[in-house]
Amino acid sequence: MTIMKLHKLLYALPILLAAGIIAFLPVEDKKADRLEIGAKAPLTDVKVTDVSGEVLTLKEVAGENGLLVNFSCNTCPWVEAWEDRYNPISKMAEENGIGVIMLNPNAAIRDDGESMEDMQARAKSSGYDFYYALDEGAKLAEAFGATRTPDIFLFNSDMELVYTGAIDDNAKSAEEVEQPYLKNAIQSLVAGKEINPKTTKALGCTIKWPK
Amino acid sequence: MKFKQIVLFLFCFVVFMAFGSVSESAAQEISDKELLKDASGEELQEVISSYQGEKAVLVNVWATWCAPCIEEFPYIVDLKQKYEDKLHVIFISADFPSQREKALEFLKEQNVDWTTYFKTGKDQPFIEAISDDWSGALPFTKILDNEGNLVANWEQGAEYEKFERYIKKAINN
Repeated sequence: MTIMKLHKLLYALPILLAAGIIAFLPVEDKKADRLEIGAKAPLTDVKVTDVSGEVLTLKEVAGENGLLVNFSCNTCPWVEAWEDRYNPISKMAEENGIGVIMLNPNAAIRDDGESMEDMQARAKSSGYDFYYALDEGAKLAEAFGATRTPDIFLFNSDMELVYTGAIDDNAKSAEEVEQPYLKNAIQSLVAGKEINPKTTKALGCTIKWPK
Repeated sequence: MKFKQIVLFLFCFVVFMAFGSVSESAAQEISDKELLKDASGEELQEVISSYQGEKAVLVNVWATWCAPCIEEFPYIVDLKQKYEDKLHVIFISADFPSQREKALEFLKEQNVDWTTYFKTGKDQPFIEAISDDWSGALPFTKILDNEGNLVANWEQGAEYEKFERYIKKAINN
């Protein structure tokens, strides 16, 4: 090997070494950031299958005044805690021209309680009065930046996000709710008033992302 | 002779029983009240801050109904023992109040022998007190160095290696 080539190799070696180290560094799982208030709903033309077998898109579900999306599942006790409020909220939303859909993003545990069959059983036993569809590969959850179940995203008639986060401030008891965040947001949206707060947080189960 | 043998046997029996109960209480020196204490978000902030200047801190929010929480729990207990001199672990149960007993039983099963906490109050202020980066999904972990600087935080369960990697980073900061 000539001296010139050796010099080139010596210069290249640290770069190659660094690249090699970086390639093998542990990569942290980072899902997309939560949609910001005002952002448009993503993937609204993506087809999802409801428990009834109907294939639909978010655009088709949306009503004249907006769309309510709830990332939810069958196995999370936090989802179950709010179970008595899903139908009443859905009824209120629909009566106000807001379409409603619940999406199941738990792609990693379809065989462990989150299959379409499990969803169908849950929808039947709870008497769900709204669409409950499977979010294949958790694609919608990822695009929305959802992080837990349940997780609420409310859009206006232009499909712009106007509220996201919790259903209300008391998972344990509907009677003891002091701040019915989502109901207030729907009422304000329809009345053309400012929604406040626009974002809230609540405890829930992590979404079981596909591996 | 036989009487002396009986006395000797009884003496040994009593001594054995006495040591037996001592070792049992040694294994569980902490009372239930101390093992799981109610705490609000604000109170927890104070607890976390109290270790500044002393030790790195790992905060973990868990619940008995949270499968990934249960899976990773023993990793954290093990690492706490491994890095005892330089790390403190603050476990916070976010169980519903009706599950408090279950949380206590789980802590004992996991041989936790230091004070842990039970979340009180509403979700939003609790979540905000623990971390701005946290959406409320369980489990949640954050690791601080002994100056109170954030080293890492994440939602979702984690493997032993990930916990250890960031604990070492916190300790060496």
